[in-house]
Amino acid sequence: MATIRRFKAMDLFTVNNINLDKYTETYPLGFYLSYMSQWPDLFSAAESAGGRLMGYMMGKVEGKGELWHGHVTALTVAPECRRLGLARGLMRFLEDASEKTYDCYFVDLFVRPSNKVAVRMYETLGYILYRQVIDYYMGNGVMPTEYAYDMRRALPRDVGGKSVVPLKHPVGIEETFF
Amino acid sequence: MDNVKQALKECDRLLRKNPNHLSAHAMKAYALARLGDTDAALEIGGKILKVPKSAANSHVRQALVLTYKFLRRPGEVIAVYNAAQKHLPDDESIYTSIFLTAASNEMFSEQHQAAVAVNKAFKREKYTWWIAVSLLVQAQFEKGPGNAQLQLTLAQRMAEKALQDHHVRNTEHLRVLLLVLEAQGNHEAMLSALSLDSPMAQQIANDPDLVTQRIDLLVKTRSFKEAIDAAAQTLDARDNWIDYKLYIEAAVGAIKQSAGDPDAQQQVLRDTCERLTKWSHARGRARGAQLATVELAAKVGISGLGAGHESDVRSLGDQIWAYVDLFQNKAICYSDIMQYFVDNVRGAAATADSSPASSTALLDFHSDQLSRRIQQVLQNADSSEDSAQAWVNMEKIRYLLQALRGDDDPEKWIDGVDSFLKFGLDSKNAKAKQAASSDMVLLACQRLIQATFLAYPREQQETHGLLTRSIFTILCVLEEGIRLNGENFLLKLYAIRLYLCLSCYSRARTLYDSLDIKHIQNDTLGYFIVGQGLALGCFIPDLELSYKGVSFYDTAYVTIPHELESAYKNGTYSNIPDFLEFNDNLKNSFQRQVSHRCALRNETIEQGRSKDVVEVLETTDTQSIELADSVLASLHDNRDFKVMGLLTPLDMTQCNLEILTRPTPVHSVHWIRVFSLLPQAMHYMAVADVEALEAKKGQLLSTVAEAGDSLSVYDKKIVEGICCIADIYTCSLGNPSSVDEKIDELVKIVDTGIPDEETADPKPTDLSKLPLSTIRDLAAVTEIFTYAVCAKHAASRHNLPFSNAFGFALTQLRKKALRCIPALKSWSNKSARSAISDSWIDTDQPMLLSDISQHMRTKHKQALDTVVKGCADSWLKSAKGVLAHWEQCSL
Repeated sequence: MATIRRFKAMDLFTVNNINLDKYTETYPLGFYLSYMSQWPDLFSAAESAGGRLMGYMMGKVEGKGELWHGHVTALTVAPECRRLGLARGLMRFLEDASEKTYDCYFVDLFVRPSNKVAVRMYETLGYILYRQVIDYYMGNGVMPTEYAYDMRRALPRDVGGKSVVPLKHPVGIEETFF
Repeated sequence: MDNVKQALKECDRLLRKNPNHLSAHAMKAYALARLGDTDAALEIGGKILKVPKSAANSHVRQALVLTYKFLRRPGEVIAVYNAAQKHLPDDESIYTSIFLTAASNEMFSEQHQAAVAVNKAFKREKYTWWIAVSLLVQAQFEKGPGNAQLQLTLAQRMAEKALQDHHVRNTEHLRVLLLVLEAQGNHEAMLSALSLDSPMAQQIANDPDLVTQRIDLLVKTRSFKEAIDAAAQTLDARDNWIDYKLYIEAAVGAIKQSAGDPDAQQQVLRDTCERLTKWSHARGRARGAQLATVELAAKVGISGLGAGHESDVRSLGDQIWAYVDLFQNKAICYSDIMQYFVDNVRGAAATADSSPASSTALLDFHSDQLSRRIQQVLQNADSSEDSAQAWVNMEKIRYLLQALRGDDDPEKWIDGVDSFLKFGLDSKNAKAKQAASSDMVLLACQRLIQATFLAYPREQQETHGLLTRSIFTILCVLEEGIRLNGENFLLKLYAIRLYLCLSCYSRARTLYDSLDIKHIQNDTLGYFIVGQGLALGCFIPDLELSYKGVSFYDTAYVTIPHELESAYKNGTYSNIPDFLEFNDNLKNSFQRQVSHRCALRNETIEQGRSKDVVEVLETTDTQSIELADSVLASLHDNRDFKVMGLLTPLDMTQCNLEILTRPTPVHSVHWIRVFSLLPQAMHYMAVADVEALEAKKGQLLSTVAEAGDSLSVYDKKIVEGICCIADIYTCSLGNPSSVDEKIDELVKIVDTGIPDEETADPKPTDLSKLPLSTIRDLAAVTEIFTYAVCAKHAASRHNLPFSNAFGFALTQLRKKALRCIPALKSWSNKSARSAISDSWIDTDQPMLLSDISQHMRTKHKQALDTVVKGCADSWLKSAKGVLAHWEQCSL
């Protein structure tokens, strides 16, 4: 339970309880603002009853033809707000917008295979491992270079489920650009 | 930069061949701007624009726009486009460029004119929205006298006409209309725009924010029944807290509206309770519905509507505990429910005489409820993660209840901490890095901090030894917690604060750096440490951090206008007021001024080592750092004071751990004013303007007098020093006989901060003085000495008669410093660790935290060693930093 609403630029002043978490990146301002100025309805914040931010999700839509899809760029929840189903709520928000507002074929996301909790959660939300992306995560001194799981969930527009037929071989990063 | 120089050469080469090559002139202007020769760039730009049709040339135009953008002169950018427009009246991109330049630089009037012009010339639907948004932001953000009402009325007409003409095609258009109407407080019209019959109904239904906004408007317009229905319909489909809150507000409004009709009131209450019960049984939705039940109890209680409805709504106290019982195993439980405890107790206090439940009785009730539960969860805490989390929540509630009671007995605050530590540091849960164990360590430290500052207030010098020893002990606990779970950033934030309380900059900085604080966080979290290096002799690290902050604001200066343009281009108009507000908060950020002043101070200290400093001071831009009172009053404080996971509301200052752990008062408006005046005073010394110097000195003194405790004693000392230097300067010109007296006074001020050789090797009993005052005193007088040396150089340059005597006095001071500071350095290097052992670890002197200290000594030696090393190394680095400065700052 939280209030899920659009993320606002002013929220950036109060994201510390989320972004100080070791695995949450704080991006340059332009990154957040560009998502807001392009896809304001796909950048959502979860706010607690007391008015504190609990988590947020940045998303976008991209691709052409049958590759037109919603993409989860970042999904993060403050440590004390985990195990509440918040990430699911935020994902649902993006899925709803991708389906109802943007009429997409599928939603996709990248996740570290080592983040088993997240992988499991996406699986329970109906996401499948579509393909592995070689060396997607660069080594930064904290985490070694790592493949990414590109996970997908088909939306009703993809009637035959074409978008979620898993690839047999890993792909390079350049093949993930739309 | 080499490329730019090369480009400049190429431009010159081209111009030698063809002196009328306008593009080369324009490129040269840009290259000069990039190389810092603003005047030359502007001169060339001005000349080019005077050449007929020059701006019609796209290469010239582009280069000139780049030049003026780089020089942050949007007015000139618009002038370039205007000049081009005369010759290219059909070029739409020039019209839009004028609009976007004005819009992204908050030139509201020009923006509106440009929107009207582009719409008139090209009649596109998009441009009507540009006009409407321009009017809206002009009304809301333009400073100075304007005509906001007229602008809003015009904006409303444009948006409504668009609605009638079916030009409202997406929710962004609709949002513009809503923003305009909201600015006028026209809720009825907003509701009409969000009507379920509107052609936009489907899009509204798919936009959760608009659905919520409609419910909110129904409540605001007192259409409570419709609000209840709309909220209920929404809540049937989704679990969103704000909708629950609005639902309760509507229900309470409806009950009040039915005053005099008890049956109707009862019906609303019953329906509400039934629905909440229904929702609480839906899978994964219990928390929201249950918290809404607490909200209902609170609202009904406040409204005095509870009497007669006890069978439907339980008391707030009972409801709070029902919630805790259900969700105690969730980490969020405490923060969900904290405010209701506070409201419950404070509400009772406000009506103590009229209500049978006084605040004391309520506190007793809650304490009784708590003690019944706490034993239960304790039994299973070791074996069950849920029970462990429940225990954490119970302990947080105990903390709050103690705070609400105003408990001032330190012993009571540390009651139970030993068991927290056993669980948090020594249990198998701790080894498994369970979140609850880390939370328990934090909770232990929060209690220890509260108890310590109650038992040994900073104002009481006689207990400083015990205060520093207690802080050391708490740091040991924090370090052990960090060692076990380095991902808990709250432990690090508390450790940073406490290290700074012990004047340990280096270790605090290492922890700060480990948090990878960057970008916007420089604004919100920089206050933790920016300026502390300066105050502890670590000038260069502090300068680096100040620059990092300053460069963030410079980046924002470019980024936000760019994204404002994007929002207009993408038609995401609802972002624009938000972006403008955000921009204003950053442009007029409090922390921005602090970072800038710290950078300026650090630069002066750095440059004070060189005799060229006078030239630098002479050219100081005094205007840009002189902030009018109105500017200071309009600064935005974006600092995140809630980040430390506080357990009580911010207004309970006696229990506010962020306030308690401040090493020195946080930077205030007075601080900014002082350190804006100080470089100005130095400038007037450098240019020998005695009258202006006197004026600045007067302002400094009056600011300090006004500031009270918002300035630290060290900052006040620096002001005292600079005023004394100013006196020397002015006396030498007006009253030469008193110059010696003033020099003696300055020497005395500086001398008191230089540790004598005895203090530099403190006896164990004196160890408290070193972290609480010695290092900070030394850093402050080092800064004063630097200013004095600058003044001496300025005096020599102007051949002022006192310069020799002044130089001699400063040389003597320097000699003493170079004798004593190495002793401090050597002590920090060789003896600090043993002194810490003697004074803070292996001592039998009893103190409040003796048992904790003993526990850490016997069970967590590694953490102890980390803190000892952290303290000794940090003091050593401070001593080295200060010593290097005295060594290099020669006369």
